[in-house]
Amino acid sequence: MKEVIAIVRMNMMNQTKKALTDAGVDAFFAHEANGRGVGFVNTQILAGAEDGYEEAASLLGEKGKLYPKRVVTIVVEDDFVDTVVDSIISVNKTGKPGDGKIFILPIKDAVRVRTGEAGTKSIV
Amino acid sequence: MMIMIRAIVRPEKADAVLAALMDAGFPAVTKYSVAGRGKQRGIKIGEVTYDEIPKTMLMSVIQEEDKDFVINTIMNTARSGTKGAFGDGKIFISDVECAYTISSGVKEGATEVAA
Repeated sequence: MKEVIAIVRMNMMNQTKKALTDAGVDAFFAHEANGRGVGFVNTQILAGAEDGYEEAASLLGEKGKLYPKRVVTIVVEDDFVDTVVDSIISVNKTGKPGDGKIFILPIKDAVRVRTGEAGTKSIV
Repeated sequence: MMIMIRAIVRPEKADAVLAALMDAGFPAVTKYSVAGRGKQRGIKIGEVTYDEIPKTMLMSVIQEEDKDFVINTIMNTARSGTKGAFGDGKIFISDVECAYTISSGVKEGATEVAA
C-alpha cells in the first residue's frame, strides 16, 4: 500500500479530480497549502547574495514567497501507483516551474472506520 | 533515499523557520495550517480547556544525508527562548520512495523502488 501525495496548482484541481476518476480512483483527500519550490529561486543570484554582492541581494526581491497550492493525498495499492502518477502528471504538466511535486510514501496499513476492515479491503 | 520532514510549529515561528531553511539552502517547503493538542492535553485557562490549538505544519522532502542538519535548523529556530516550552511542536520523519517533478516529469529515487 502506498500513499501518493501530490502538490498541484490551485486551478488544476478540477482537471486533477476528473483525471483521477477516469483512472479509477474515487477516494482521495485534499487540502489547501502554501509552498515554495527550488524553481522560484535563481541559485546563481542566491550564491551572489551570499558572497556579499548587494546587487544580487536586491534582485532576490520577495525571497521565499509562498504560492497557494492544493495537496491531494491518495492511498492506493502498490501496482496502481504508476497509473495514478501518470494521470496526475498528464493533466498538470505545463512545463513551467510551479507545476508541483508528487511524493510516494509507504503505508503500513489502513482501516475503514465504518466496518473495521483492514488492509486492501479498506481502500477498494 | 529521500525522507519527508513534517514539522508542526507555532504559527508565529513559521516565517522564521521558512527564512532559516531558505538561508540553509532548502527552499522547497509546503506550509499549511492545522489544529491539535499534545501530551499536555491542551491549555487550561481557568475553567476553559483549549485542546485544538492552532499550529502550522511545514512539509519538506529532502535527501537523507541532510536530515540532521535540517532537523537542527528547524529545531533551533522553532524553539521558544533557549530552553524551549510546551507547545513548540514536533518533527516527524517518514520515508519517501520516489518523487516526481510534474513540470519535467523527472523521477527521483527510482532505484530504491525496485529494491
